[in-house]
Amino acid sequence: MNVTRRNVLLGSAAVMATMATRVRAAQPKDVAIGVLYPFSGPSAQVGVDAKFASETALDIINNRHDLDLPLAKSAGLPGLGGAKVRLVYADHQGDPQKGRAEAERLITQEKVCALIGTYYSSVAVTVSQTAERYGLPYMSADNSSPSLQRQGLKFFFRAAAHDEMFSKGMFDFYDWMRKKGTKIDTLALFHEDTIFGTDSSNAQLKFASERGYKVVADIKYHANSPSLTAEVTQLKAANADVLMPSSYTTDGILLVKTMAELGYKPKAIVAQAAGFSDKALFDAVGPQIQGLITRGSFSLDLAAKRPSVGAVNALFKARAGKDLNDNTSRELMALIILADAIDRAKSTDGEAIRKALVATDIPGTRTIMPWKRVKFDAQGQNEDADPVLLQYVKDKLVTIFPPQAAIAAPIWPMGA
Amino acid sequence: MLTASSIAQIMVSGLLTGLIYALVAVGLSLIFGLMNVVNFAHGEFLMLAMYATFGLALGLALDPLVAVPIVMAALFVFGAAVYLGIVSYAMRARVNSGMVQIFSTFGLAILLRGLAQYFLTPNYRSIAHSWLGSRTFALGPIYVPAPQLVGALISIAAFFALWLLITRTDFGKAIEATREDADAVALVGISKNRVFALGWGLGAMLVGLAGAILASFYYIYPNVGGPFALIAYVTVALGGFGSVFGALAAGVIVGLVEALTAVILPSDLKEVGVYAVYLAVVLFRPRGLFGSI
Amino acid sequence: MAPRLSDPAPIDAISGSAPVGGSAFRRRRRGEFVAAAAILLAAAALPLGIDSVYVENILVLTLMYAALSQSWNILCGYCGQISLGHALYFGIGAYATTLLLVKFGIPPWFGFVAGGILAALVALALGYPCFRLKGHYYTIATIVIAEIASILVLNWPWAGAAMGIQIPYAQPSWLAFQFGRSKIPYFYFVLALAAVTWLATWLIEDSKWGYWWRAVKDDPDAAESLGVVVFRSKMAAAALSAFFTAVAGGFYAEFVSYIDPDSVMNLQLSLLMALPAVLGGIGTLWGPALGAAIIVPLSELTRSYIGGSGKGTDLIVYGALVMVIVLLRPEGLASLLRRRPGAAVP
Repeated sequence: MNVTRRNVLLGSAAVMATMATRVRAAQPKDVAIGVLYPFSGPSAQVGVDAKFASETALDIINNRHDLDLPLAKSAGLPGLGGAKVRLVYADHQGDPQKGRAEAERLITQEKVCALIGTYYSSVAVTVSQTAERYGLPYMSADNSSPSLQRQGLKFFFRAAAHDEMFSKGMFDFYDWMRKKGTKIDTLALFHEDTIFGTDSSNAQLKFASERGYKVVADIKYHANSPSLTAEVTQLKAANADVLMPSSYTTDGILLVKTMAELGYKPKAIVAQAAGFSDKALFDAVGPQIQGLITRGSFSLDLAAKRPSVGAVNALFKARAGKDLNDNTSRELMALIILADAIDRAKSTDGEAIRKALVATDIPGTRTIMPWKRVKFDAQGQNEDADPVLLQYVKDKLVTIFPPQAAIAAPIWPMGA
Repeated sequence: MLTASSIAQIMVSGLLTGLIYALVAVGLSLIFGLMNVVNFAHGEFLMLAMYATFGLALGLALDPLVAVPIVMAALFVFGAAVYLGIVSYAMRARVNSGMVQIFSTFGLAILLRGLAQYFLTPNYRSIAHSWLGSRTFALGPIYVPAPQLVGALISIAAFFALWLLITRTDFGKAIEATREDADAVALVGISKNRVFALGWGLGAMLVGLAGAILASFYYIYPNVGGPFALIAYVTVALGGFGSVFGALAAGVIVGLVEALTAVILPSDLKEVGVYAVYLAVVLFRPRGLFGSI
Repeated sequence: MAPRLSDPAPIDAISGSAPVGGSAFRRRRRGEFVAAAAILLAAAALPLGIDSVYVENILVLTLMYAALSQSWNILCGYCGQISLGHALYFGIGAYATTLLLVKFGIPPWFGFVAGGILAALVALALGYPCFRLKGHYYTIATIVIAEIASILVLNWPWAGAAMGIQIPYAQPSWLAFQFGRSKIPYFYFVLALAAVTWLATWLIEDSKWGYWWRAVKDDPDAAESLGVVVFRSKMAAAALSAFFTAVAGGFYAEFVSYIDPDSVMNLQLSLLMALPAVLGGIGTLWGPALGAAIIVPLSELTRSYIGGSGKGTDLIVYGALVMVIVLLRPEGLASLLRRRPGAAVP
């Protein structure tokens, strides 16, 4: 055999591999999970935050913590002999094709046993299909499009709510306020033109017509526009009882600034999170949106009743420098739920993990979320992932709805 | 239906925005007029200027208005450096120099975005307190925000100053001469390279001015330049490459058309109005409104 | 004279061709053809030695971009009309194929052709008013037209609007153009497409069109007298270029099984179609393929192996490398492949 560089490399790799397996035989192999988020491009910050959330979840899973969360009290996965979870990160750059390529790489080369991600619903389409093709689960951590669970995939799971559930929460809130005597008749929708904005506004239009609210303005705008003056002028002219924005951070900041510049003070703002759950937005325009209400998957004031919430938030904050929010809480919790299923499956086989996920039944109190429980329906959706509504009061987001989770009464109108 | 005052509001805002677009675009027009190069990293120059302004506000508590001259000077140096370090090599290409220039600046744009992400993180920044930032003037039913108004006035002043520079100073004459015949100017003692470097510096400086103004009311992150750059290219082409006055006129037109289209059509189609106007104009005037090249 | 955008390399300077019709010329032509056939055979054998789905994916993308860039090169490299809006045709192909399949049940093969023809017609319709524009005005017009199309599709509910369209799973077969997990059939299709576009370019080089275009570039005054004839040939080149780009777009839709305006009609895509040709050599026979072979694996590997950090290091590497290659070898890397006897020094 020739002593070429290639052969030397292959040879030494083979030697090292046999050595490694001999060493490894002493301790259980680690369990690899593929984590896909955008780590470059316009949403890179989301990926950065998601990484902090994932690492916090990993810490809870792999080390002993005295918290009432799945896998917190043990080190590693007890069902697999204490094997540690290892996360392999991949950047999909917001492109469905790249997401698929990375998913395939994670599965075939990194030998992950499950996938989690992806923030972009468009990427979730191809990633979930890839997972289905290879027979291992895809856990949707933070995709909110309602169409995802309707693809008829066996290996698709989503622990958190989707846009229809979020919007339903908003309208339940309106109905509740109306019953208490508050006048809420007209709505103004303000949404960007990608999947997120479209899904959100479709859901809101549906509920508005079903529940008797009049949509007096439906403004679809182009994301990342240099100027939103024309759009905001139309909102101001419509002067609805409630402004309902579905915007990412950049547009959210510009929206609030433009409203202030044009002297438009809406009576109430009820936002579809996204940008309006991002600390960067509140840092930029917080003072102008005191009293803003947003949907949320997570509320920090749960910590008063549930110590694990505060403890986990502290762990996250130590890494990220900010509190858990709508996105990061979902990303963190989804990873723990996924690891818990792998643990219960006692195997890294895709079908076994899938069965364990189907059998999931975690009471909401054992999570950091305000959910009733975690149980996936036939389509892989957790229908009990109740959202909350939060209001930005004195620089903090406080829970105001539903009543059983609320710690304060809503301030309505927002300027009151 | 929108009232007359709403429409007037939209027009006024469109005008102010358009003047700022013009300021973003003029640097591009200048560089092109001088040496036939389209800077594909123009949006990233804007991004850097905005970050510089933010940095000065954060670190030295300088108001963006005060930071303007510093940022302009910094961008001047940066622009000249980009010319000397990169574009001058691109122009030495014996073949394909047009494409080489475009794609070397295209690579530069990606590099700058990556560097910004690496050193400054992709997080969204904004300047929370600036002297202009939160003020807005109410003229009857029409609101005129201070940052945009001042930005528009500065833009007009900058165009005037640029006009004076080009028509009244030796440097301006050198630019004109070099534009006419870059090789011959050596005969009259003008260093082509020097003029080009200064031209890039000047173009970048103008973008720096626009960036410093924008930073007082806009958000900042590594990808912020993209939409502005696209509008800038269309504005320059609409006004005519190489025409400073064209950039001004086109900027105003783009701002107004964009604002009006957002009202007539669903707002997310507003750019279509701008693009349609460009196509309509070049159909009849293939060199844009005032282009001479 | 300041360098002009519409001045790509005079072909002769790069290839050092002998006078037309001479035996040296015919030998060179034969040589090119033989080399291409050999490369084609070697490429066709590649999948046998590779069992990594990830690597196969990179190969498929490389060949797709080679085909795309080669198509782009036909119009832009040889004719000098630099289009940065070719994503329009890619999108037309992708959407035509997908909509015909999803709405009318028409198999993708017909969709590819239909999309190609539609794109060619659009190119002709646009070429008519746009070819009178010079240099950057033309380029900006192409960008703007592609953007308009993208925004319109984004707002067109029947075509999926922002939600995009998914191609439903079908049993693997050549008719349905779906193959389960395997990427090998896709590889062969796109290899064939790349070969066809190469062949088209090779034929054009030694054709009336090729001569007219070279004449026009070498001597702008000749453009006056050749006028209409050159215009018609440019229109044909535009249609051909659009046709192949759209076929690649249809292929892409089937390959990914999901499309939305952002993934098949955006400006970045137009730039990425041109980039391989610029790196490899505009207006050259091998430039686009060579450029694709370098830039696509580079982009994939940097994203996969240094991209997951969130620090943008993969962008830094990619951007820097593009700059370095373009600046060090402005005439394109293809020039490294051939010696240039008596290359013109301007």
